[in-house]
Amino acid sequence: MAEVRLANVRKGYGEALAVDDLSLSIADGEFVALVGPSGCGKTTTLNMIAGLLEPDGGDILIDGRRVNDLDPKDRDIAMVFQNYALYPNKSVRKNLAFPLQMRGLARAEIARRVDEAARMLDIGHLLERRPRELSGGQQQRVALGRALVREPKVFLMDEPLSNLDAKLRVQMRSELKRFHQDLKATIVYVTHDQLEAMTMADRMAVMQGGKLQQYDTPERVYAHPANAFVASFVGSPAMNLIPVRVTDGGVAGGGVAGGGWALDLPPELLARARQARGGVLLGIRHGAIRLLPSAAPGTVAAEVLTVEPTGDITFLNLRLGDTDLVASVPPEQLIAAGQRLWLTFDMARLHLFDATSERAL
Amino acid sequence: MVRHRADYLYVAPAVLVMVLVIAYPVWFTFYLSMFSTPPNLALEDKIFVGLDNYARILGADSVHEASLNTLVWTVASTALAFVLGFGAALALNRPFRGRGLLRGILLVPYVISAVAAAYVWRWLLHSDLGVLSALAMATGLRSQPFNFLDNTDTVLASLIMVNVWKEFPFVMIMMLAGLQTVPDQLLRAAQVDGAGPWQRFWHITVPHLGNVSLVTVLLLLAANFNGFTIPWVMTGGGPAGASEIWITQIYQLAFGRIRFGLASAYSVILFAVMMTMGYFYVRALVGRDRAS
Repeated sequence: MAEVRLANVRKGYGEALAVDDLSLSIADGEFVALVGPSGCGKTTTLNMIAGLLEPDGGDILIDGRRVNDLDPKDRDIAMVFQNYALYPNKSVRKNLAFPLQMRGLARAEIARRVDEAARMLDIGHLLERRPRELSGGQQQRVALGRALVREPKVFLMDEPLSNLDAKLRVQMRSELKRFHQDLKATIVYVTHDQLEAMTMADRMAVMQGGKLQQYDTPERVYAHPANAFVASFVGSPAMNLIPVRVTDGGVAGGGVAGGGWALDLPPELLARARQARGGVLLGIRHGAIRLLPSAAPGTVAAEVLTVEPTGDITFLNLRLGDTDLVASVPPEQLIAAGQRLWLTFDMARLHLFDATSERAL
Repeated sequence: MVRHRADYLYVAPAVLVMVLVIAYPVWFTFYLSMFSTPPNLALEDKIFVGLDNYARILGADSVHEASLNTLVWTVASTALAFVLGFGAALALNRPFRGRGLLRGILLVPYVISAVAAAYVWRWLLHSDLGVLSALAMATGLRSQPFNFLDNTDTVLASLIMVNVWKEFPFVMIMMLAGLQTVPDQLLRAAQVDGAGPWQRFWHITVPHLGNVSLVTVLLLLAANFNGFTIPWVMTGGGPAGASEIWITQIYQLAFGRIRFGLASAYSVILFAVMMTMGYFYVRALVGRDRAS
């Protein structure tokens, strides 16, 4: 296994920059997810690590060795593709053996490794079948097996779960995680699904517009988003971002005000809010909003627009002044559309972003 | 079932036309093949002879010679056109300057009328007045005119060359279409797996082209087996029957010598061979469809 390092990597398609000055270090045995909306540059980044695309600038290092000019086959990487990319005319056994044959391994060694991978992934009974005779989940395992037999330094995975149905995806998610734990493999995993990144990765690199927005553990990315984009991208439903302006006066010495409502802030938050050059975006996750049936000091009034029960939790779409936001309540708490509620925000979990730069304050 | 009754009504006009222009001629050819017909158009004077016509066709030396020619003509034309067309498709599959123009030029033989092309080639290959022969002499390759078409040893090969020139663009278009459907991701996967360009071609591209190759080859075989225009216009089967194939012999029998009974029996034999080929064609297609 190996570490991967990207240093100031750039890649453009014509005028547009797909990856803009990306630097990223992936430790030996680490599971890193590159996550972001489509067009954020995550797949381009992966293809550059694989050697399928050549960077316009910057260096890619695997285990300290610069690989920019190496062919994919000489980089000692294996790749799992979104559509599995199994060879349709070859049996599962031959699919697994193919990368080893291409490297000219001895027949006995090939057979040994194929059997080992098949046992590990529980596809031993499928070895003589063709890919089209397999279910999506089985194909996924074969694709994983084909990467595994190579015993590569780095596994590159390009949205490997996105073609599976929801139930199977959850199952494969935990299988992949176990795969990583068993192998202690270095994995670079591309996904547009923040939940996949959150659940599997040791660290997640959130990208947008070809730029790295934040690179940290899922817990920290969730709890301390570096900017408004990360805040809205990570977590579902998305964090509420409410444009407000900073006010002076009142009991606490200041606060924030939106269209038709105002809220005092504790001094520490207020000081941070005052750093903003223009307006402020107030960020609050649905779980950090508490709802009261009647007015109390430090609450703001909101109207319930819709109620969305999901079983474990009920989401409420609320109208606060001139903005909408999402809050949640336990399913036992019965709330009807049109009802009036009073909100308090958990100040410890309140986020402030500069409205102009969108950076966290 | 009752509800489907109207459906038959909708296809009735098409069925009627097909019965008129396909089923009836087939049946009448079969019927006529049992008769000895007079060498004129007075078909009411025909005499029933049973399978005599078939016996005469299958026993004739000229038919045996034509059969060998037909086999060589069909197989060689198909094989060469396929190889040349596939090669052109591979060359055109990667982008380069002037690709569109070259593709257009290579397509020209296919879109030219076969009769016009055959006439032009007849003159190009003419022993005394032809450009190719003159070129060979001017460059010193030969000291005397080359007989492409008036020589029993070279006439069939010359016809095959013209036929290949005429139909390789068809192969090119078919294979180019096939090449463009090779999944990019498979090629990338093979690249990461360590396969070089030749191995990617052999392990990914070639298997992917199986279906389109099969269809192309079978269509070519059928077209060449029935390929009438080029041999007929260029040589009419000559010299001395050296470029005679089944279809030109049938035409000559029927409309040259007005032997409808004999020509009908010959046609029925050709029809049977074609239908057998058609059977394998359909079976191969259906089999592959099921497999994939």
